[in-house]
Amino acid sequence: MTVRVRTLDELLTPPAAGSSALSTQEYFVNMGPQHPIAHGSLRLVLRLDGETVKEVIPVPGFVHRGIEKMCEKLNPRQIIHLTDRLDYLSAVMNNWGVAKAVEKAANIETNGRIETIRTLMSELQRIQSHMLWWGVLGMDLGAYTAFLYAFRDREIISELFEETIGARLTMNYVRPGGVMFDILPDFQEKVKKLLKYLGPIIDEYDTLLSGNVILQERLRNVGVLDGKKAVALGCTGPVLRASGVPLDLRKLTPYGRYGDVEFNVAVGSKGDCWDRYYTRMEEIRQSMRIIEQLIDSIPEGPVNVLRASARISIPEGTYYDQIETARGVLGVMLVSDGKSPSPYRVHFRSPNFNNLWAVTALAPGWRIADIITIQSSLDLVIPDIDR
Amino acid sequence: MGRVDFNDVKHETRTFAGVTVPVSVVPRFKRQAYPTRFLFSLKSLVDGMRLTFGYLVRPSTVVTRQYPENRATLKFPERYRASLKFKFDENGYQSCNGCGSCERACPNGSIILETRKGATGKNEIERYIWRMDSCVLCNACVEACSFGSLEMSHDFENAVYDRRLLVYTLNRYAGPTANVLLKEENLEAREAMMTKIDAYGGQVPMNGYALPTVAALGTPREKAATDGKGEAS
Repeated sequence: MTVRVRTLDELLTPPAAGSSALSTQEYFVNMGPQHPIAHGSLRLVLRLDGETVKEVIPVPGFVHRGIEKMCEKLNPRQIIHLTDRLDYLSAVMNNWGVAKAVEKAANIETNGRIETIRTLMSELQRIQSHMLWWGVLGMDLGAYTAFLYAFRDREIISELFEETIGARLTMNYVRPGGVMFDILPDFQEKVKKLLKYLGPIIDEYDTLLSGNVILQERLRNVGVLDGKKAVALGCTGPVLRASGVPLDLRKLTPYGRYGDVEFNVAVGSKGDCWDRYYTRMEEIRQSMRIIEQLIDSIPEGPVNVLRASARISIPEGTYYDQIETARGVLGVMLVSDGKSPSPYRVHFRSPNFNNLWAVTALAPGWRIADIITIQSSLDLVIPDIDR
Repeated sequence: MGRVDFNDVKHETRTFAGVTVPVSVVPRFKRQAYPTRFLFSLKSLVDGMRLTFGYLVRPSTVVTRQYPENRATLKFPERYRASLKFKFDENGYQSCNGCGSCERACPNGSIILETRKGATGKNEIERYIWRMDSCVLCNACVEACSFGSLEMSHDFENAVYDRRLLVYTLNRYAGPTANVLLKEENLEAREAMMTKIDAYGGQVPMNGYALPTVAALGTPREKAATDGKGEAS
């Protein structure tokens, strides 16, 4: 893939003539920073010929909070709460990503109970995240009903989190060496009830939205991303898998309890918006399968192998670990000087940042309305892009 | 059956990066001739509408909760985190001895501890300041406290018009812990060890107290600037 770097002069030259026989001009339109489909502050500069998109220039950075820099002053336990604020819809998984990197660096061994609880919570969160995305995709494309249905069912999982963890969104649950709270005695029963409820509900989603001809026509063959290009752009998660590349860290480098359970990696065959849509629907079902297998086999043991006041010292060196969140691969790089309790440098390889640039490859040639479909199917969470 | 058969998920195994991965290939569109396609399209719209209207005629499926009206019956899970609170025993004595582990565990400096030398020569808490305006309710302080002096409470309606109202003093008195107090039999002597902080735990305008960046509420701007206690924000 070639990277085209343009100078300011080039950008300032008068736009080229449009393709129509009439005398037309290309023009620029700002989509965002405040736009309902962005689900946050993301600016897309569109170069348009009539309504046809010629080029998309994403301008991220409106939600930049300097999380990586903040991490340099915090100890590993305190870093966790900032990762809730990257991709807030995969808070538990982000927490786990840092905890995993720190455990690897500091040689902390966890036990089966911790890993099972982490896996269960992550999968619940994946379902919750995909549900929200499903509702929001419906809303973006004009089906407000879907949004209400998604939030109705998402609430059940939110309440489970509220009971177990005490928070609904920014949970700060997984810590280096364990988890913050043990599960409640009725947790297993409630999750089983939830699974029983969710089965027919996902079919209902199919009737309501997936089967709808308007949605199908708006997703079918729109924004085709082939596997090679997706890999070149660094896309991960459902966006990459929809293009037919079965990259799933849960299978490739099993962590937690993923090695013990049977599940399939949902992949698409063409890489259009429909594949991205249905890959996530299939992932909900696969996540339910994982939870079903694990819910009755939670081993006994303490939920934190470290005392709350124990000092976590990371030896000098550079450490990297990655985890599969609901949107793709979250990589955590820690550089430690071995002296101070806080890392010298932290870098997050966030899935949404890379997935965002898929929009530059997908959008040209489509209409403005399709940009909305494409961006919605990429399932971007803006704070994760900007960090 | 519409254009997409949702049960038509193909289960295969693929080799990727040297690992055999079982995959589910998601269903795609079938070719349909014009009249069939039109009828199925129409049916898909009717199906969705039927589902929606099905919920309309079944009021038992309504999940909406009328929030401000149901305040009296609102129930929160035990672990719900909404604000920080001090734990007091039945006498109203605290177990916090001002060791500062919560202050160190706090990721953004929302806890400020002021201690003093008590009558017994031990450190004791003078003022436990909790800044809700910067707190993220991460529970690190509760976890770090080895004396069980802190807890997360369920008081979630904390909206105020001035952010200075979000700076709380959590302790009710400046003085030693319950252990120290209960050793002293004489009630008057006990009282002597404690300095009451008149307004505690509630939304009190900073208790007339200024932090380096936050002026005391109710203090005129000029006064705050001249007495050097802080600048009005």
